[in-house]
Amino acid sequence: MAARPLPVPDPHPLAPQPRALARDGARLAERIRRKYADRITGALHLPARPAQYAPLPPELPPALAAALKARGIERLYSHQAQAWQAVRGGDHVVVVTPTASGKTLCYTLPVLAAAMQQRAKALYLFPTKALAQDQVAELLELNRAGGLGVRACTFDGDTPGDARQAVRLHGDIVVSNPDMLHQGILPHHTKWAQFFENLKYVVIDEIHTYRGVFGSHVANVLRRLKRVCAFYGVAPQFILCSATIGNPQAHAEALVEAEVRAITESGAPAGEKHVLLWNPPVVNPDLGLRASARSQSNRIARLAIGAGLKTLVFAQSRLMVEVLTKYLKDVFDHDPRKPARIRAYRGGYLPTERRDAERAMRAGEVDGVVSTSALELGVDIGSLDVVVLNGYPGSIAATWQRLGRAGRRRQTALGVLVASSDPLDQYLVRHPEFFRDAPPEHARIDANQPLILFDHLRCAAFELPFVAGERYGTVDPQAYLEVLGESGVLHAEGDRWEWIADSYPANAVGLRSVGEGNFVVVDRTEGRQTIIAEVDYAAAALTLYEGAIHMVQSTPYQVERLDWDGRKAYVTRTHVDYYTDAIDYTKLKVLERFDGANAGRGTAHHGEVHVVRRVAGYKKIRYYSHENIGYGPVNLPDQELHTTAVWWQLPQPLLEASFASRQDALDGFLGAAHALHIVATVAAMAEGRDLQKAVGSGDGAWFSTADGRGRGQWRAGDGGVADPAAASEFVPTVYLYDNFPGGVGLSEPLYLRRAELMEKARGLVAACDCTAGCPACVGPILAADEQAERTPKALAARVLALLADA
Amino acid sequence: MSALAEQLRRLQAQAGRTLSPSPRPRAAAGEIDALRRLLGLRERAARPASHRAEVDRALPGEEIAPGLRLLEARAPWPALPEVVHLAASPAQPLARERLLAFDTETTGLAGGTGTRAFMIGAADWHDGALRLRQLYITCLGAEGAMLRAFADWLREDTALVSYNGRCYDAPLLATRYRLARLANPLAGLVHVDLLHAVRRRYRGLWPNCRLLTAERMLLDVLREDDLPGAEAPQAWLTYLRGGAATNLRRVADHNAQDLRSLAGLLAHLAHLEANG
Repeated sequence: MAARPLPVPDPHPLAPQPRALARDGARLAERIRRKYADRITGALHLPARPAQYAPLPPELPPALAAALKARGIERLYSHQAQAWQAVRGGDHVVVVTPTASGKTLCYTLPVLAAAMQQRAKALYLFPTKALAQDQVAELLELNRAGGLGVRACTFDGDTPGDARQAVRLHGDIVVSNPDMLHQGILPHHTKWAQFFENLKYVVIDEIHTYRGVFGSHVANVLRRLKRVCAFYGVAPQFILCSATIGNPQAHAEALVEAEVRAITESGAPAGEKHVLLWNPPVVNPDLGLRASARSQSNRIARLAIGAGLKTLVFAQSRLMVEVLTKYLKDVFDHDPRKPARIRAYRGGYLPTERRDAERAMRAGEVDGVVSTSALELGVDIGSLDVVVLNGYPGSIAATWQRLGRAGRRRQTALGVLVASSDPLDQYLVRHPEFFRDAPPEHARIDANQPLILFDHLRCAAFELPFVAGERYGTVDPQAYLEVLGESGVLHAEGDRWEWIADSYPANAVGLRSVGEGNFVVVDRTEGRQTIIAEVDYAAAALTLYEGAIHMVQSTPYQVERLDWDGRKAYVTRTHVDYYTDAIDYTKLKVLERFDGANAGRGTAHHGEVHVVRRVAGYKKIRYYSHENIGYGPVNLPDQELHTTAVWWQLPQPLLEASFASRQDALDGFLGAAHALHIVATVAAMAEGRDLQKAVGSGDGAWFSTADGRGRGQWRAGDGGVADPAAASEFVPTVYLYDNFPGGVGLSEPLYLRRAELMEKARGLVAACDCTAGCPACVGPILAADEQAERTPKALAARVLALLADA
Repeated sequence: MSALAEQLRRLQAQAGRTLSPSPRPRAAAGEIDALRRLLGLRERAARPASHRAEVDRALPGEEIAPGLRLLEARAPWPALPEVVHLAASPAQPLARERLLAFDTETTGLAGGTGTRAFMIGAADWHDGALRLRQLYITCLGAEGAMLRAFADWLREDTALVSYNGRCYDAPLLATRYRLARLANPLAGLVHVDLLHAVRRRYRGLWPNCRLLTAERMLLDVLREDDLPGAEAPQAWLTYLRGGAATNLRRVADHNAQDLRSLAGLLAHLAHLEANG
């Protein structure tokens, strides 16, 4: 928290800026606020922060000090010096400072010094391969500048077989990712013996990404790492880095299960920054329709780039990245003979394409970048003046992380959050104080979640036998070992549990809930056979159906054939004036009840459910006018998920007696689902994406969504909108389900704690300061509902009261 | 079983680790499985105790340390020149007394730290004959003793001979020595991997270059009642868990044949190389 200055409301919104440079975010902010006063619903001003310096530590090896000086670093920022001291003092350390505050040196200095002085080794873990490669490039530069003789190398899935041996034997700094540590390094630790015997530091950057189920997996991988280290007689020190989250120290301590010293005061200078909240204007007063966020983001980016400001636009989807890139290119890149001023950046591009974009951005050759969250993490792209968020990223922490991309050193920067029509976005721009005062979200993990623990104990037993009485993290693993023994995976002999099965357990345990293989996009224009992009499995059904327009750097290709089993999409270059957007919906069906009980005047159950996501077709949308110019069918297998869920329902007669209309009851259930989802995510130490909520009838006959419109929409089993009053049976049900194939065991504890959850949800709604409902309790609501007679908040509270035990 | 173990079992069952693409009547399947388990248990429990006593647990060889057994045999030495010169080996010619062919039987092919050797066989030139020595363990705790015993057979100038041992047996043993906190006696030794020599000569001519193919084509070896290598892990596990030793004995025979074939191939290839 201390890592970012508290935003304060701007007392003189239109006062002339003293240093109104021509190319300055302040001037643009002022212009925008004058010209679009009716669209700006809030303005925050973050004052400039002077640098706090500290001298280079005298005990720094002279060659390293010289290398730093050769690269223009004559002194350190205060947090870098603090980190040096804390690490040299033997503490585990977490550094929490904003983007571009020189976090890297916090760990690079002690690591390089130890490598030079004691030939000590270090392991770096980054969440993505791209970040790992950046890091190695930077280390190599520093190494060259000072002739330090330290060998840094990446070790990941892309490392060729013949290079691996060299990395294991000669790498001083091995840069990898948690997945590789889990599947490639730990199960082969004997090959890394020399590395482990000399391992002094483990550096884990971007720890805020290790949260929820993924974080719980990573915490277990770290337990295994510590176990293997102990075998080689070492206990490495952890140096962690995090973006701003609500609980960096607690999160770091939960990950490494040790006391961690937190360094949260950044000594890096920051220019002043303006943040504007922008609501698109109403274009149809009768229907209350607002202009799209896309059109507004486009306008702001054009203004900024036109004023000579380096601008980054964050879009929420890959499709939107391409659409916005096209619009900006139409303005700024119409002369094909000149180098491109606008670039798109997102996952799914080939690595070479991404590298090239990063290099061009760093070199200042690009004036406008449109990106997904891919640029939220610490990829080095140089200085930027303006950041436009096309839609609220969904969390306070991610919003600040993205806004942090603008503003370096002395320049005034500008960030604009453009609200979409999503109720959450609309709520935020109507209530700027919510955004200003909300603390960043907490990162939560539960390393002892039984099924996750079980998977990693299997991996751990493969790596080294367990000895009776040995603890694993904070757990006594005896019962788990017995289960593994009974299934013939382990063999108990004397006081040892030895691995005996012919299998490689790490391969069966994925840390992330992705998988099933990427799709490649093959361009067949004029007989070519070129791979132009990759699409991950989850996105394939939504973007690669036959007929889809697939864009790469805003160049449109049409998908001609999708080979689902072969994971290939064949495309040809096209010149149409529209793009396509998939129509999809999700429905849920109960397969089996494991357990049930009364809950207040209704019931609660726990069991297995079947969640189906279907892409029913697609819309063709014309550029600029955004009119819908046609539909196409999609014929793809359903995305199915068998998982476990906990659910609550109320009997129909009670509902009819308690609510004026079925629509009211439905809105109440959606609000109750929101509140239950919030308290359940906290209770399960999960992330919102790990645990999903749904409201439906349970047999798949109908389901209800609140996406985009705020009010409960009743949909028949085929996805069409229906009237709830017309249905013969009406037993709305709130579901919370594990968003993982097979489930990860989140929902059973929730069932067991159902009374407590219900009380917490009621308390959350009752204690919330809002009047009619808000994202912090029953979900964002529309402006019209704030004055409604029966507020969504009251309806949700009624549903929760009926489900609570007296 | 503890309450936690019980809960885990339930969680796992619910999590349905085997996923099918469409809804299926899991309850029924689960109940049938549970019933099968119960029936199996009842069947075993109903078996007369004397029946279990009849399980054939006879093991060949002598126990030289608790849980470690040694099998020793002699075979005629295939016509081998006194000094062997193979293109596959490091440049210098090797005196035949230095040669030691070895082959391991392991708990599987998964690789990594979880796979172990339960049998190490070695063949060398000794007193004018081919000496076959096989170490194997009957409990996991004897692994260290086996590794030490094998280390004692190796000298600084030993030249190892193997079939795919450079990529398989040697790294696997390196891992086991490391896990047992023992120095790896194979490190730095000359190692002649006959697979490479065979591949160089016969790749593309034979359907494959496995040892079974090579010994059939070049040595006219015919294996009868041979236990396929893939069944070795189960044979050993069966014995380890209190079952019959029948197949474990067949593993020993299989391993001994591997060693004789190794020696034979070495002689054959040396002869071919000597004659161009």
